[in-house]
Amino acid sequence: MSAEARVKFLLNGHPQEVPCEDARILLDLLRDDLHLTGTKRGCDLGTCGCCTVLVDGRPTLSCLTLARLTEGRSVTTIEGLTPPQGLSAVQRAFVDLGATQCGFCTPGFVVTATALLEENPRPTRAEIERAISGNLCRCTGYIKIVDAIAAASRSSG
Amino acid sequence: MHLDPFELHRPTTVDETVRLAGALAGRFDFLAGGTDLLPNYKMHLNLKPHLVALEDVDELRGFSADRLGAMARLADLERDPAFAATWPSVADAVGEVATPLVRASGTVGGNLLLETRCFFFNQSYFWRASLGFCLKADGDRCHVVPQKEVCYATHSGDLAPALMVVDAEVEVAGPAGRRRLPLADLYDAKGDGVRRLTLAPGELLVAVHLPRAARGRRGRYKKLRVRPAYDFPELGVAVAGRWTGDRVEELRIAVGGAEPRPRRFDTLTDALVGRTLDDARLRELAEAIGKSVRPVHNTFLLPDYRRRMVAVYVRRAVAEAREGTAG
Repeated sequence: MSAEARVKFLLNGHPQEVPCEDARILLDLLRDDLHLTGTKRGCDLGTCGCCTVLVDGRPTLSCLTLARLTEGRSVTTIEGLTPPQGLSAVQRAFVDLGATQCGFCTPGFVVTATALLEENPRPTRAEIERAISGNLCRCTGYIKIVDAIAAASRSSG
Repeated sequence: MHLDPFELHRPTTVDETVRLAGALAGRFDFLAGGTDLLPNYKMHLNLKPHLVALEDVDELRGFSADRLGAMARLADLERDPAFAATWPSVADAVGEVATPLVRASGTVGGNLLLETRCFFFNQSYFWRASLGFCLKADGDRCHVVPQKEVCYATHSGDLAPALMVVDAEVEVAGPAGRRRLPLADLYDAKGDGVRRLTLAPGELLVAVHLPRAARGRRGRYKKLRVRPAYDFPELGVAVAGRWTGDRVEELRIAVGGAEPRPRRFDTLTDALVGRTLDDARLRELAEAIGKSVRPVHNTFLLPDYRRRMVAVYVRRAVAEAREGTAG
């Protein structure tokens, strides 16, 4: 690919145009080039869900997405889900209910949970468990994570 | 992990894709959802200098009750209750593929054409170099069955058996035009874990067609795996059939996740048409299928266990399909 290859997309609501080789992975572009390090690199193979971002509102594993294929799309990272002041309902519930331990998996869980509540504002516990089954918490703090997502679903309208 | 450089192509029509595939002969991979190919590329497994991304090819997208585009996303199928009611075995299998996040990107075509898997293949370059490479990538021998020059890597898709029991056909496009073939014939009966498909070089999977005649079959797909949240199948059993009372009108059973290709057992099941499938006969059928399936020691669970579980899963899948509601 020529040296001037670029990708143009909407990042957290703002137009972005950055140099990008064909083989560049979205996660690497976000973290290494754009310094948005809220999106975490866990397994790097699509198993753990730590790198989840929204592409056109859809939860997406950024470690398995070619950055150039986001051309013209809208990418939202954990930074973009955080309001200018304070926290989102999901983030607030994670804090209030102590749904983090080491915190490494938290951005992925928050992004997945945000997409779930967008699609299904009042999920059952079983629906929450199924929705987050692609996000791994190695501290195994799942009960509080499910509690927090359920609480967020009650707090938002 | 960074990917080695490749050139990315983004055709927008099937014709353009086929032309590109011809021009890049042998030097490219198709990229569908990327959830299988890109992890393999990160592990330096059979890298190619070109990737042909299929997501802009309109004709490959979307699905209906009769047709699944090759690029139809598994998560979209999963969210369609009408589809699940019509094709229960397929809906079961879709919901069992990997995780919701993988299904958000993963596609029907990608799952059908999933790379075969093996404990000695799905490893990092360093790991494989240390042991010595194998037939499936970079080497010339098999670590599973060293006496033979055959690859035993396992078909690990969930959709194939579930679609085979409803007699699905696939539509492919290639340099010689379009053709349709039974899905079961997509997998090479004379092949192995490397030469696993009957597709000609440069042929592209366009769609899966679901025959109206198979609508209303009761169906079930059951999957054996270590971690129910996301593992590949150690075994997958699909059943679809029609019953009048206890009498079998139609019955199809397919097994995947156990051998280099998914297989249907028509000789055994056709013999039951018109007869009553009581517990003893079901047990007999399950044992016969279990005896003919030959897993090898290339996944997490031991082959003897996987083999014995074939009969158990066949029994359970048939019993549950029969109890299930017709579409």
